[in-house]
Amino acid sequence: MKVVITSIVVAIILALVFSLPALAQESGTITITMTGVCEISISLDKAQWPLGNIASDTEYTTIPPIEWCTLTVEGNCNVNTFIVGEDAEWVDNAGYKWTLSNDGTNGENVYGLWFRISGDTTRGPLGDGYVPITKTQDEFWPYGGSGSSLAPGATKQFGLKLLMPTYFVGGRDMQTQITISAVAA
Amino acid sequence: MIGGKKLTGLIAALLVIFMPSFTLAQDINFSVSPPEVHIYNLSSGEAEEFELTIHNKDEIAHNFTIATFQPPEEERREGMAELPDGSWISFSSQEIEVAANSEANVTVAVAIPRGQKWAGGDWETWLGVAAESSDLLAVRLYVRLLVSTNPTMEARSNAGLVAGIVAGIVLLGCGCYYYFRRKAKPG
Repeated sequence: MKVVITSIVVAIILALVFSLPALAQESGTITITMTGVCEISISLDKAQWPLGNIASDTEYTTIPPIEWCTLTVEGNCNVNTFIVGEDAEWVDNAGYKWTLSNDGTNGENVYGLWFRISGDTTRGPLGDGYVPITKTQDEFWPYGGSGSSLAPGATKQFGLKLLMPTYFVGGRDMQTQITISAVAA
Repeated sequence: MIGGKKLTGLIAALLVIFMPSFTLAQDINFSVSPPEVHIYNLSSGEAEEFELTIHNKDEIAHNFTIATFQPPEEERREGMAELPDGSWISFSSQEIEVAANSEANVTVAVAIPRGQKWAGGDWETWLGVAAESSDLLAVRLYVRLLVSTNPTMEARSNAGLVAGIVAGIVLLGCGCYYYFRRKAKPG
């Protein structure tokens, strides 16, 4: 009987010696941290740009040029903002499109888009405050590692500039979208 | 004269004038919370879930889409690398309709594949929420998702090995027991 008990105790001890360290590692706690009751939100006071009749190889600017639309930080956390554009597509057939230029210039069925934030006078490739909107998401505000993020309630006014293609097929209703995004700073 | 008319027509065609669809509805007002989520100590082969809340502050219902986005390096939190595979993130629904002045939740699951190479990782990806619209100007809100994996996660995948060792030791104990019992029998 004594031998039986000794054998069982030895077996249990050996089992615990080998398994406990591994089991202890498996008991690690997964922690999820969420940033309190914060919410992220921005708003734009414009969504449309009624251009009227437009022509090829022509530049159009919003009116007023740089205080046309106001971005407001509506949430309760500081944000960094970005901007991205896309090709313009024919509403009736997405097979026909105008390609969004990657440097703000135009060409045959290629159009350019620019934005300028009020107060920016030297930003952009031409040093006039206008920055090309491309299909790659780029900084809206802050930019270039300078400037601070936008605090709740902060606003930024901006305008747009559209450079029409040098040639396009007329009579087609084209559609595009510019997306302004925000992330917690 | 005819040539001149043709030229004029051509110029007119090239200068085609049309009403572009840069005409849009009003801006859609919505918010997302939380703006940042950090999952710590996630292990190989494990999954974890959390909920995002989309608050539609408009007077009409809207459809919202959710998708992952790889942030540029300079925008990531310090020490965070790009999430190796976007397919690790899944959503209960990538498109959801939210009624006017209402909230809706989307469950986000993060699943790390098995493998020692995923141990001790610190990754960041963004979850972009946007309202579907044909407006010229649209808003997308990003939620930062930070994932840190357990540096010793391989031990977890050795659960079978541990179980085998335990079973072996128990069998060894039984063997010892029968051996000593037989040895203890007289004659």
